Amino acid sequence: MARSVSAFAPSLVSRSPAFIKPKIRSNAFTCSSLNMAQVGRLTEPAGQMLDKTDVFIFDCDGVIWRGDSVIDGIPETLAKLRAAGKKMYFVTNNSTKSRAGYKKKFDSLGLDVPAEEIFSSSFAAAAYLEQTNFKETGKKVYIVGEVGICEELDLIDVPWIGGPADKDKAPDMGPGGALPHDKDVGAVIVGFDRNINYFKIQTAQLCINENENCEFIATNLDAVTHLTDAQEWAGNGSMVGAIKGCTGVEPTVVGKPSPLMIDYLVDKLGVERSSICMVGDRLDTDVLFGTNNGLQSVLVLSGVTSEEKLLSEENKITPDYYCDSIVDFFAK
Amino acid sequence: SRAGYKKMYFVTNNSTKSRAGYKKKFDSLGLDVPAEEIFSSSFAAAAYLEQTNFKETGKKVYIVGEVGICEELDLIDVPWIGGPADKDKAPDMGPGGALPHDKDVGAVIVGFDRNINYFKIQTAQLCINENENCEFIATNLDAVTHLTDAQEWAGNGSMVGAIKGCTGVEPTVVGKPSPLMIDYLVDKLGVERSSICMVGDRLDTDVLFGTNNGLQSVLVLSGVTSEEKLLSEENKITPDYYCDSIVDFFAK
Repeated sequence: MARSVSAFAPSLVSRSPAFIKPKIRSNAFTCSSLNMAQVGRLTEPAGQMLDKTDVFIFDCDGVIWRGDSVIDGIPETLAKLRAAGKKMYFVTNNSTKSRAGYKKKFDSLGLDVPAEEIFSSSFAAAAYLEQTNFKETGKKVYIVGEVGICEELDLIDVPWIGGPADKDKAPDMGPGGALPHDKDVGAVIVGFDRNINYFKIQTAQLCINENENCEFIATNLDAVTHLTDAQEWAGNGSMVGAIKGCTGVEPTVVGKPSPLMIDYLVDKLGVERSSICMVGDRLDTDVLFGTNNGLQSVLVLSGVTSEEKLLSEENKITPDYYCDSIVDFFAK
Repeated sequence: SRAGYKKMYFVTNNSTKSRAGYKKKFDSLGLDVPAEEIFSSSFAAAAYLEQTNFKETGKKVYIVGEVGICEELDLIDVPWIGGPADKDKAPDMGPGGALPHDKDVGAVIVGFDRNINYFKIQTAQLCINENENCEFIATNLDAVTHLTDAQEWAGNGSMVGAIKGCTGVEPTVVGKPSPLMIDYLVDKLGVERSSICMVGDRLDTDVLFGTNNGLQSVLVLSGVTSEEKLLSEENKITPDYYCDSIVDFFAK
């Protein structure tokens, strides 16, 4: 039976008696429990979550790895979950690699994960084109982004132009100058692109504004992202912002927290949403992704969100439970 | 007409040239116009910094844009970095890579930049997100602009959109249709707003600029807006009058 999402609305304090009453950790700063976000620690993982979960969706950065290092205890935990018969998928809003590209990263970290379990936003864009029968239009795609999107479109046989090839181009802006654009572009897909330039922006603008029914698709809207450990880097929110700013068009977003990837999984696996558990380190993309779509949700503290931020008065996004990392899914 | 002693100002949302730069264009077209009558959005950005006493902060400006903004900031002695010099730069994004940014940047000004790149976007992101009280100023938000006759070109709306998209911050807009230039003129000239007439060819920047600020407004059909569009049902922006061009200001 589908579980009502409203039972887990953040404004409710009381929980169903089937759950163990969550223990709210006291914090170093003074804070009345009435003002704190009501979220409990995962103290009895089997009863609280594991036994009712058939499928896990893991965010990657901050849950499985941090930058280029796997988080302690992850390989063993994933092995235990598989042994318990749990299915799992790994989602990332980073579109720069394809699923096959990400598999190489998993391999290099000693994690044996089939490419089909990886849901990069590059794959999500291709899945969306399949869902909407884009190939039948006979049109092509203009890509603002890196090889990941290009590879995923090749896999589903959708013709595309742009991508890394437009890296060093500049349009003719002298007297009477114009940038010729392909009238057969039926969709512009925008993903993170460290080689964003005016040529790409102008091409996308012409396609979206002048080609009839041309779609504007964004892999994700993340404002910043941890491309290296040392800094927060401007994310695809900036590439998408550039195209929004010259067209006035809102894109179709295929990555978190859009429901597309979840609808795809539910449809593909034929499971109940309530038997899926979303595990992530960000409240606004991961946890919201879960709570907005009727999934269970767990926030891990092994990434960008601290316990303080999670439990603060300002935070309105409450996962079902939180824990230090997914190693806590199995009691010690 | 100068003979009747009307004052006049020439405004453009294009920040790529300074007032002095635009005067050269007027000269080349045989129009004798003093630089002080030209209000480019590059000048508007500098005027805003003066209005808000930016120099007293001792901070500097990071410029995403072309020489116009750089020249206007030089004229008012405000230190700046960035601009055309960041054209071919790329940040170190290898393992442990980071882009060092100047903690003394107190404002980021974003104007049309045909050499927009990730280095500039990332620098602006770091300044706005990490430097305390760092301002985000935009010369204008035009989605498209006629940089050449042959095509509509993505405008500063895209450069500003990029910085909004990685910071979540709304910029202070100094060009049309922001009231800043009008407030500046009213203050400087000491005239009534109702004695000022805004004349333009675009409904959403020019006419709205006028009607929102208590000015008279005239739409001319010598530019991008047709009579059909002006008089269409969908159009909600109404100038006081319209005519073919400003030649019609004097009866034949």
